[in-house]
Amino acid sequence: MNSTFTMVLCAIALGLPTAGFLINALTAGKLPHRVVSFLGPGVVVGSFVATVILLVELLAQPPAHRGVTVLLWHWLNLSVGLVHGTVGRSGFNANFSIRIDPLSILMMLVITGIGGLIHIYSVGYMAEDASYNRFFAYMNLFITSMLLLVMSENLIFLIIGWSMVAFASYALIAFWYQRPAAVAAGRKAFVTQVIGDVGLVLGAFLIFLNLRGRGGQMLHSVDLQTIFANVGPGAHFHNGLGPMGGGMVTVIGILLFLGAAAKSAQWPLHTWLPDAMEGPTPVSALIHAATMVTAGVYLVARFHPLYQQAPVAAGIVAVVGIGTALMAAIIGCTQFDIKRVIAYSTMSQIGLMIFAVGAGAYAAGMFQFFTHACFKALLFLAAGNVIHALHDEQDIRSMGGLSTRMKLTFFAFLVGSLALAGIPLFAGWFSKEELLSTGLALGPAVPWLWVLGVSVNVLTSFYIFRVVWAAFRGQPATSRAAAAREARPMMLVPVLVLAFLSAVVGFLNIDFAGFHPITLFSDFLQPVVGRPAAHASDGIQALALLVGTALSVGGLALAWAVYGRKVISVDLISRRLPWLYQLSVQKFYWDEIYGAALVRPTLAFAALVRQVLEPQFFDTMVTEVRGGVATLADDLRSLQTGFFRDYSLIFFVCAVIGLVVLGFRLA
Amino acid sequence: MTGLFPGFLTLSAAMFALGSLGVMVRRNPLVVFMSIELMLNAGNLALVTYARYTHTMAGQVFALIVIAVAASEVVVGLALITGVYRSGRRLDIDELSEMRE
Repeated sequence: MNSTFTMVLCAIALGLPTAGFLINALTAGKLPHRVVSFLGPGVVVGSFVATVILLVELLAQPPAHRGVTVLLWHWLNLSVGLVHGTVGRSGFNANFSIRIDPLSILMMLVITGIGGLIHIYSVGYMAEDASYNRFFAYMNLFITSMLLLVMSENLIFLIIGWSMVAFASYALIAFWYQRPAAVAAGRKAFVTQVIGDVGLVLGAFLIFLNLRGRGGQMLHSVDLQTIFANVGPGAHFHNGLGPMGGGMVTVIGILLFLGAAAKSAQWPLHTWLPDAMEGPTPVSALIHAATMVTAGVYLVARFHPLYQQAPVAAGIVAVVGIGTALMAAIIGCTQFDIKRVIAYSTMSQIGLMIFAVGAGAYAAGMFQFFTHACFKALLFLAAGNVIHALHDEQDIRSMGGLSTRMKLTFFAFLVGSLALAGIPLFAGWFSKEELLSTGLALGPAVPWLWVLGVSVNVLTSFYIFRVVWAAFRGQPATSRAAAAREARPMMLVPVLVLAFLSAVVGFLNIDFAGFHPITLFSDFLQPVVGRPAAHASDGIQALALLVGTALSVGGLALAWAVYGRKVISVDLISRRLPWLYQLSVQKFYWDEIYGAALVRPTLAFAALVRQVLEPQFFDTMVTEVRGGVATLADDLRSLQTGFFRDYSLIFFVCAVIGLVVLGFRLA
Repeated sequence: MTGLFPGFLTLSAAMFALGSLGVMVRRNPLVVFMSIELMLNAGNLALVTYARYTHTMAGQVFALIVIAVAASEVVVGLALITGVYRSGRRLDIDELSEMRE
């Protein structure tokens, strides 16, 4: 690869959205509407083009050499520094360098590609909004932060990108700051993100302080490739972070996963994602479906050498993932807000990805990420068309009969639902069956995890087709639903492109059962994440495939029976299993639990401080200090006579004293 | 030669002490200025003495700079004194104590 050319491309890919953000932000809304409409999506599309050229460059290399580190500039260069109480011989360097390898290119393609489509969609969706320029400034900032996160070769810049993503997401969720609910949701998201950031930063500190190199010396490195080369079994492996499965590496794995769980909305840091639906719908598509929430999956996949050394941490990742997937799928079945259903579905699908990367099926997890980004962005954007047509109506009980009025949107939503539900030949089918069958061979408690995964699939196809039937079929429930019109072309084109992608991207990797040799996708990722350690036998995989597919279709049929033909009563579950129904409607009471366990004690403590500690202790302390200073000042003031000779006398006396002291020291 | 150095240095110290005494006890600003000049020249004398003693030029060069600084300082100081005189006030340093608070 031509290094200068690659460097320029990296700079363009990262620099264009940054420039877009700066121009939009610094002109403070003065740019004309038309200019922003080109600038906002234009920079992202430009970044996408640069990414595609990088991809072509990368594909021109033999697979073993796909992976370059591009140094953009030297940032910190301390050749000899005081590190950890001893003078480090190797010194500490942190450069702004960029890693281009299949994993980061894949993330960049999704971020800029799907992100670009969502930007184009936003031109239509946000056209009437008063803060049009601010919206695109935040969106470009988000793209920049996300690119920085996935491209960084350096732990420090990864953390910077990680936190910038959290800020951009906060700004976009609370975009309509006149709505108290939106502001509260943004705040909740940000606080949750910061909890995760603490985990990530502590994990990074522990890596920095404990990583040992070949000769057992401290490395003090923040370069990801250096860390990975020394952490796991490999050419240079000499107990980088202690023995395999040791305490240190397990703690680091769990801390990093805390960060990943906050970004990816996994239990116990999942409660922000449904509330984040208060933001504009393109934001939900961009942040809460395609990119940001998959940063956790990326983090675990990127740090896979570390997780391979920490089976306990990886097991926790997998179990939390599948647990969250099941919980979110159950909640999704009873929600009425169309965006919340899709949000819980996102949580559930990302749970599956987290399960996959925790179980060691990295390529399968990333493939699920890739297809999910397509069909989930599609579902959000199609839902956005519906919401827009119904003038901000989000309750599926007020919809109905939209398939005749919004034919193209209905078609797109249907494709997205089929892909999400894992109906054969749509994208989700390939990725989910591959994920489950690879997970089948790797997971520690395999059969049970597989059963849980398949139940998630059944619930998924049930709840998404519940939405399809409730919102698009039947009779219009309200006059607004009856008057709905198809969306404008600007909003339809990206949706249709995504529908096309959702239908076909699955064919990139026909590998799930080991029958077909076309494994483009996992071959592409193989230089970074390697191959899965084990495969289940072909027979078991085929059986798993058949059963899984049949059950997914069964979920669809169940939704049809309940909501289409109405042969099964809708309130069957609520009558027979009221506790399960309540659990689902109340979202497993996590908000209430956190309220009782964290929020209310904090507020009570704050009230105590406000009423007792503040007036009686802190106020008194401040008054006393003020009085002391005033008295001292009054006393000192008498020293200031205003007479020149007094000052010069003091000066000479002090000079003499200084000279005498100096003389003694010299003697 | 060596025997003369203590004499020069004692003279310098005496000039400095006299100068500082003048700065502290005299009330006429012009005399105060002359005392300051005395102190500066005491410093010059010490510098030149040590330059001679160590056979280097640095002290002599430094003395030249001190002379230049002293000249410019006198310019500023005399301008201030003239300004005070033209505003119709007595030339007494103890009268000029408004900067007390």
